[in-house]
Amino acid sequence: MANASTNIAAAGPRGPKPRRAISGRNIMIYGTLGLVALYYALPLYVMIVTSLKGMPEVRLGHIFAPPVEITFQPWVKAWAQACTGLNCDGLSRGFWNSVRILIPSVVISIAVASVNGYALVNWKFKGSETFFTILIFGSFIPYQVMLYPIVILLREMGIYGTLGGLVMVHTIFGMPILTLLFRNYFTSVPEELFKAARVDGAGFWGIYFRIMLPMSMPIFVVAIILQVTGIWNDFLFGVVFTKPDLYPMTVQLNNIVNSVQGVKEYNVNMAATMITGLVPLTVYFISGKLFVRGIAAGAVKG
Amino acid sequence: MSPALQGLTTIAVGVGGCVAYFYFSNVILDRVIYPPRGPNAGRNINRAGQIRPWLFLLPALVALGLYLAYPVFETLRLSLTERVPVLGQPGKFRYVWVGLDNYRQMTSEAKFWEAMRNNMMWLFVVPAAATAFGLLAAQLTDRIRWGTIAKSLIFMPMAISFVGAAVIFKLVYEMRGADQEQIGVLNAIWLQFDGGFGSVLVLKIIPVIILLAFGGIVSWVGWLVLRPLLAARRARGIWGYVLRPAVAIFAVWMLWLSLQSVVGLWRFELAYGTPQAWISLPFWNNFFLMVVLIWIQTGFAMVILSAAIRGIPEDTIEAAIVDGANPFQIFFQIKVPQIAGTIVVVWTTITITVLKVFDIVFAMTNGQWQTQVLSNYMYEKLFVTADWGVGSASAMVIMILVSPILVWNVINARKEMR
Repeated sequence: MANASTNIAAAGPRGPKPRRAISGRNIMIYGTLGLVALYYALPLYVMIVTSLKGMPEVRLGHIFAPPVEITFQPWVKAWAQACTGLNCDGLSRGFWNSVRILIPSVVISIAVASVNGYALVNWKFKGSETFFTILIFGSFIPYQVMLYPIVILLREMGIYGTLGGLVMVHTIFGMPILTLLFRNYFTSVPEELFKAARVDGAGFWGIYFRIMLPMSMPIFVVAIILQVTGIWNDFLFGVVFTKPDLYPMTVQLNNIVNSVQGVKEYNVNMAATMITGLVPLTVYFISGKLFVRGIAAGAVKG
Repeated sequence: MSPALQGLTTIAVGVGGCVAYFYFSNVILDRVIYPPRGPNAGRNINRAGQIRPWLFLLPALVALGLYLAYPVFETLRLSLTERVPVLGQPGKFRYVWVGLDNYRQMTSEAKFWEAMRNNMMWLFVVPAAATAFGLLAAQLTDRIRWGTIAKSLIFMPMAISFVGAAVIFKLVYEMRGADQEQIGVLNAIWLQFDGGFGSVLVLKIIPVIILLAFGGIVSWVGWLVLRPLLAARRARGIWGYVLRPAVAIFAVWMLWLSLQSVVGLWRFELAYGTPQAWISLPFWNNFFLMVVLIWIQTGFAMVILSAAIRGIPEDTIEAAIVDGANPFQIFFQIKVPQIAGTIVVVWTTITITVLKVFDIVFAMTNGQWQTQVLSNYMYEKLFVTADWGVGSASAMVIMILVSPILVWNVINARKEMR
């Protein structure tokens, strides 16, 4: 095979393939791509540009023009002074709420789900098929259907409207999809490794910490991305399960933008949107390809 | 207590609790119940091995049961009952069985039917448009130099929350009085059109060409699907006799719609020079909201389809080129059939997202100006007007609408796991 192809290459014309920079096909491809990119980039561009302008400059129109005078005042205001109803301490409160929701739910859900996935790979048991079907249903079913009963449930447990309740909901709803994710990844680890470790005297936890954990870093990163973006961008649970002074960032962003008092400050709104998006966007730029995997895995979530 | 300490405590309690549970339940199982000693050592080890998985599954099963299974049935029960305050005990309620009354009340509301109609439109437009744009972007960025940059740009909206996207598009659709400078992107573009030849070209002739092209593609695909049936050679089973004509009829309907829109568009008097309040333009504002979700979801469709296109065996395309196929034939008759499975997966995934769309409508219009959708209707009933019966009934409607796709997805996922 390799031989044949080298023969053909040797017989054929040499040197790089001649390119025509401007051909009808290229114009069409780049033209269409340019239009498509415009639809996706223009709103983002306008957001960034507007967030760096002062309000007098915004009022002049010229929305596509870069700021004449770059000011970070809108960012400062969005972070520390923007009003939602009676509170005027900006997004900072929501940011810290989001952090306090995010970190425990990500850590707990991933720790528990990875151990569960590992246990599921390690032992075949009766009814495992049914259990997986339930897990898949659990990860696909729309949250809306169970919203109100969970409110009742949390109220009965006395944690309705607290961050702990919201953390618990996020943790449990992340569980089915994460368990499946880990289980599917762990099945691809060769069985001989388990057996060798078992022979060498490693127990359940020994195998988990010394073999599984170091071997499955990519899937842990994918799981972290899935949970971080999912929980950070969540709106529905935040607005339903917490109270106003504990609202996560997305809810507060909505309240700042839709608050009816005063003049509409477009630059502050855009800066607030940018600040809210900073965490997932940073994750996106750092993790690259794995981010796509994380999002794709989470897209099926209910 | 400081927030950091509080967070650390939560993590410690959560993880520590789970680990402690796993560890000590194992210890008890191994040391106390079935110790690997004495005359029954071998049998005990086997028994312990059989029970061990359940130690791990038990908490998961309890949590799933409590938070997934119970709420679904509870919602069903609530949708069939009504909350009545108990006399003499303020704050106490009892639930009375009312049969289908909640559903009857719901279906008598105009807002519900508006939400249903809008949801159906979302259901047709968003998955189709997002998948089509995603496919287009995946095909165009395949093997060109700036492809990666274009891709990462198109994917970026996926990282932004739905609310964030809604806020951005609120600025895009913003309108100020005709005497002021326009800040909204769409109005700024709109005001560039003055009714001259350029406007007619961009707003009438090009859309008409696009609509005609769409109609042409749809009818061609319909013809491709129907042809085997007419030739009576390869049509087999239910797919042959029911689905193929159904797809063809749908294609004809789409063709009819696109021709109708061509006529409508051509005769429509566009209000040049006056800024429009896009968000409160009845009926059309639905499409402006859909644009937001399409903007977000295209990236998802693109990356999945792009991976699928990469996976197409090279020789099938080479064979087609040798046979003299043009790029369109290669795309529609060689590539698309080979990634049809992936297209369906992307389509159904987006469909589920669409059925649950809530944040966008809530943040942009909150259901005003005839943009209500089912999720927002449900939210309003449950948490604003506190009408739990009707709210639960509409949740059940969402569940029923999602079910077919849900079941289909579960079957597929199970196949994949084998």
